[in-house]
Amino acid sequence: MAATAASNPSQLLPLELVDKCIGSRIHIVMKNDKEIVGLYLRLLPLLINSDMVLEDVTEFEITPEGRRITKLDQILLNGNNITMLIPGGEGPEV
Amino acid sequence: MQRFVVQFYLEKRLSMFLLGVYEKPFNHLLCAVPVILSLCLLSFVVVHLQDKEKKKKESIFDLSKYIDKPIRVKFQGGREASGVLKGFDPLLNLVLDGTIEYMRDPDDQYKLTEDTRQLGLVVCRGTAVVLICPQDGMEAIPNPFIQQQDG
Repeated sequence: MAATAASNPSQLLPLELVDKCIGSRIHIVMKNDKEIVGLYLRLLPLLINSDMVLEDVTEFEITPEGRRITKLDQILLNGNNITMLIPGGEGPEV
Repeated sequence: MQRFVVQFYLEKRLSMFLLGVYEKPFNHLLCAVPVILSLCLLSFVVVHLQDKEKKKKESIFDLSKYIDKPIRVKFQGGREASGVLKGFDPLLNLVLDGTIEYMRDPDDQYKLTEDTRQLGLVVCRGTAVVLICPQDGMEAIPNPFIQQQDG
């Protein structure tokens, strides 16, 4: 029953990978054409929602080919629209 | 004069309400009994359902057979990605290695090879995943519906 998921020791759990990159840069791709690159701060309990606290954030908008605001002072990113998380990512190089 | 009428009317209503309660004490208790019974029934049903849900927690699809195999994932919002599945969890969060992301062009409807970029090791949020399939198991075919329109 419970042996279907995560019983294989050789596999990498997604939340483990995200926990490993606390304190380092992370690149987040949203459902729309927006991407966020920032420093992933302290461990916010990554429950079901996966809201994230980031610092020194750069926001990229892909379609209009522009780099948006560079924000500091920690943002709380709503986890509802997160599609992909890329640890150590530098963002789209435009 | 009108003020007295209104005041008397309100006082009469209040006294009638109070009298109504005191006149039928057993009616008050009788009203409570079915409430208690329904609460018991409801709690029993809820507990029973929870037991059933605990047994049903296994997922209907076993992803462990796709570990270390290239898969294609489609997301809400039109994004597509493919990579080697390295891990997953019951919430359908995925770990993909060597990920290539394909993005839809709004002008060209749907063209795969327009915008592909390498992403490397990626965690995909399970709430955004719409479709998972093995990369070998799908191919692009010419539109089969055009022939029907001509005929």
